[in-house]
Amino acid sequence: MLSFKLQSWNAVAPGLESESQWRVWLQQPFPLSSELHKVSLTQISPILRRRFTELGRCAAGAALPLLEGIDAIPGVFASRHGDTPLTLSLLEGIADDQPMSPTGFSLAVHNAVAGLLSIARKDVSAATSIAASENLMPLALLEAVTQLQEREQVLCLIYDVPLPELYRPYAESESYPFALAMLLSRSEGSDMVLEQISPRRGLPGESELLRLMRFLCDLDASADFGSGSGVGWSLRRTVDAGEN
Amino acid sequence: MSNLQLEVKQMIIDALDLEDIEASEIDDNEPLFVDGLGLDSIDALEIGLALQKRYGIKLKADSDETRKHFASVNALAALIQSQAEQ
Repeated sequence: MLSFKLQSWNAVAPGLESESQWRVWLQQPFPLSSELHKVSLTQISPILRRRFTELGRCAAGAALPLLEGIDAIPGVFASRHGDTPLTLSLLEGIADDQPMSPTGFSLAVHNAVAGLLSIARKDVSAATSIAASENLMPLALLEAVTQLQEREQVLCLIYDVPLPELYRPYAESESYPFALAMLLSRSEGSDMVLEQISPRRGLPGESELLRLMRFLCDLDASADFGSGSGVGWSLRRTVDAGEN
Repeated sequence: MSNLQLEVKQMIIDALDLEDIEASEIDDNEPLFVDGLGLDSIDALEIGLALQKRYGIKLKADSDETRKHFASVNALAALIQSQAEQ
């Protein structure tokens, strides 16, 4: 069982940018646009901003508001699929015998978002990029909480964009872009516990993102992950902080 | 501003996704990299690719001569001009 404090969080999806918007939507979900309207990212200079694809704009849009006033912070960057629209366009270029764009290539790696944010914030703290299929969200938290043993604060940033049509028969993805930024701390914020549980059959058909968001918006008492194979994880608040 | 200079500027804007910049804002003589327009090493590779695609010009990635060609819009225009005359 791992304990940590959640100092703050911020989540972005098309039309959902505040906690109250998320809560209303989670209670009565309706289909979201598959594209993010322009996140302005005014904190970043135009010359660097042009390098952000939709995935990066989404991730930065969630993370930057949390990081105001923080000069240096290590980060865990988690994405199941990474920038598949960009990767696919590069592969199509290869198939078409086109020379590959150096910019496109440099941005297609899994740690591109971490790199861009590091340049934009002039923050050379450690960055860890991870991918997972099942349990992406608890595993991102596990990595961040582990790093918290050595650091006062750690950013945990989880993001994905919809898979291009071509890949959809083979893997799942949300039908809309999203990013969730969580600021984990050793000393400030709500007390949380992350622990392994036996994987539960018959978890509601909701995605990991929806389960985690329902928990963060206080609609569920815990967020349980893992659906029958491997290891399950549960995230919950410590009921009575006074007992610690 | 000659047509070739304008063409070079538009090529730079298109190749580097400089959506917010107008060709008229780029000075023919100002440095393109670091100072001036503020481009970086990935942009240099991208311009190299654009020169190859559009004008069939191939450059060595890291020679002093290449650095001179990439100094400004005027220097790039001179390079294209000299290749066309060959």
